Amino acid sequence: MEDSSSHLKKFQKELSAGTVSLVLLAVLGQSRQPMYGYQIAKRLEDVGEGVLAGKQSALYPVLRNLEAAGLLASEVEPSVSGPPRRYYRITKQGREVLHDWVEAWTATRDSVDAVLQGGV
Amino acid sequence: MNAPRTIAEYLKQLRAALKGADPALIQDALYDAEEHLRAELAEDPQRSEADMLAHVVSTYGAPEEVADIYRDQEIKIQRALRVPPPPKRRSALGRFFGVAADSRAWGALFYMLLSLATGIFYFTWAVTGISLSLSLSVLIIGIPFMILFLGTVRALSLLEGRIVETMLGVRMPRRPPYPSNAGKSFWQRVGAFFTDVHTWTTLFYMVLMLPLGILYFTLTVTFLSISLAFIATPVLKALSVADVISLQCGYPYWLCDNNYWPLAVLTCIAGVFMLFATLHMVRGMGKLHGAMAKSLLVRIVGEDA
Repeated sequence: MEDSSSHLKKFQKELSAGTVSLVLLAVLGQSRQPMYGYQIAKRLEDVGEGVLAGKQSALYPVLRNLEAAGLLASEVEPSVSGPPRRYYRITKQGREVLHDWVEAWTATRDSVDAVLQGGV
Repeated sequence: MNAPRTIAEYLKQLRAALKGADPALIQDALYDAEEHLRAELAEDPQRSEADMLAHVVSTYGAPEEVADIYRDQEIKIQRALRVPPPPKRRSALGRFFGVAADSRAWGALFYMLLSLATGIFYFTWAVTGISLSLSLSVLIIGIPFMILFLGTVRALSLLEGRIVETMLGVRMPRRPPYPSNAGKSFWQRVGAFFTDVHTWTTLFYMVLMLPLGILYFTLTVTFLSISLAFIATPVLKALSVADVISLQCGYPYWLCDNNYWPLAVLTCIAGVFMLFATLHMVRGMGKLHGAMAKSLLVRIVGEDA
């Protein structure tokens, strides 16, 4: 029993590591306004546990690295009620990359589904 | 470890859990955690800090979990997003010429050329700021001026960190130290500027950049121009032989003589070797400089923020 749950955990971790960049890019691609880390975390919380198998702290390094790769841009703005917040928005290059990623994701998902449904 | 009850406690535990990791990574991890925790606290001001933290441990992660995630992510994502390192070459010759395929050598070369300009700027900024702060301190505007100046020093420290990371490939913080000023009075905040060792090491770095910049720039330009000139000797000789240009021949007389071609070719080969040796040299200097920049510009971990 113990063994099978640790296998599941490992699998979930790997899945989330592979998809978290896509999900973050997609969330920022759909949003009209720039969003800050906490807001994105809450948005994903609403969607369900599936997207982020791990903890929300995993978001921030990914956001930063997407920014370093030029797919996101960010700026800090002071807020009225709380601490200063770093707002992220998607760049033009980010949109192009997102488009390619969505295609790759769809292809992967379709072929995995086909295998799981015994279509092979 | 017992559950953290305040944000400061949480951050302290996170810092302890990240002990031994890259200082730049720790600074980023602490920044992210503090931003998230403060946002969570602002979301529902009625809730007490301890309740909020109990909730956060299940969503954001306990300090040890967060530390693991950051260690993991850093390795994975850097591998995925970074330019792959140049293939390792076995032979000594391959290693010697392989430097041209290393993007770091070229980055370091441009950093060395740029360092004269940035060095002059940092030095001027630091010296002007310090002397104006000191001389204005007899007047009432001295203190605000000094605070403003130290603020720009922090911003420049982050900027130089970005330059160093891009060109020299040394991991530097991407976020400033989080302004942990909550609950402190104005004078305590001002005091923090002066007691922070980081401020003074940054100033020292800025002053040091002038002599270093001059040294880097001179060495690089000298070696670069000598090697390029050596490489160009056959061209010069060919032009001279073809009477396109007439050289005033003193020393080295062989350059104008219609014979002595082997010597010109040899000089050219020496030039090529020197060019690659120069690339090795700047890459080495870049590595040293990166290590130094890291020790002076990144806050020492464990020191109270």
